[in-house]
Amino acid sequence: MWSRTGSALAGVDSGLCRRALPWAAGRFTLCLSLLGILCVPLAAQRPLTAQGVRSLVFGVVFPGLPKSILRTDALNSGQIDVSGVKFSPVQLQFALPAVMTGPAGATLPLSFGANDGGWSPPQQIGSQIGFDPRGAFVATLDQNGKVSVYLGGTANPLPSQRAGSYTGTVTLTVTYLP
Amino acid sequence: MNKVLQPSMALIALVAGIATTAVAQSNSASITATAVVQQPINVVGAANLAFGNVFPGVNATVPLTGAGAGRFDVTGQASAPVNLAFTALPTDLVLLSNNLPVSFTAGYNGTNSAAGATSFAPGGGAATSLSGTGALFVFLGGTVTPAVNQVAGTYTGTVTLQVTY
Repeated sequence: MWSRTGSALAGVDSGLCRRALPWAAGRFTLCLSLLGILCVPLAAQRPLTAQGVRSLVFGVVFPGLPKSILRTDALNSGQIDVSGVKFSPVQLQFALPAVMTGPAGATLPLSFGANDGGWSPPQQIGSQIGFDPRGAFVATLDQNGKVSVYLGGTANPLPSQRAGSYTGTVTLTVTYLP
Repeated sequence: MNKVLQPSMALIALVAGIATTAVAQSNSASITATAVVQQPINVVGAANLAFGNVFPGVNATVPLTGAGAGRFDVTGQASAPVNLAFTALPTDLVLLSNNLPVSFTAGYNGTNSAAGATSFAPGGGAATSLSGTGALFVFLGGTVTPAVNQVAGTYTGTVTLQVTY
């Protein structure tokens, strides 16, 4: 009989069919065992994550004197590490502040140039591929599903810049591409 | 005996359940950008270098500690390193077309006391730091060498000090 062929799993399936399909009770029914390969969405295998590693540090700056930090500066450039499915293309999109904010609400202008963004396999800051952080960019995760993203920039204190500490927030959004 | 083949609705339901199990396709992370702004530098000419009355053929010297010594007062970021440079240092004081040769000495101190000043060659400049209160005093002395036939009158010149972080 059809319903008794196969393994015990088939028997389980038959019971499932009868519960799901009451009209099948008392009838010989064919319930196919659910065998084979499930098509799972690619992203479900490993989630895409991003983690801040290092701040963009301009250090001491003087009124009226711009100061730049290169994306290849291992101590002061900003760094965010990305993890996901290996060899996947991902879109990188920065949200960059126009100013840093300091004492009594004073603002210190920031600027980012076309070569201030970079990405590379992790721990290879000297082997970056540069990109313009002011727009979206596509990178490819490495064989371990990882890349590091780096950021430089320029602080532009005014001649009348108020002395004190200034901070701003940089956000990187990463997105799987189909 | 009826053999009825019916499609398994359970299979369809299971596939639908998988399709609705979604994982985030994007993510984000933030870092900070930071900077510390130092106090701006301010330089004031506080006292002129005054040789007073001099006589033809008789040199006159004003030491750094003399009553007629010149002085620049500097303010800025506490303890910040700075460079001192005289950008205008004349070789003569002038009265119309008459020149009176002059040379200079200089020294700096974190307090307003020429007695403890560190001497340096004005033409070469110096590197030092502002005091813990962000102050620095630069003293200026010198010697004029009037000729025996030096024309009488008041001779003047301008000395300019530049201070940079």
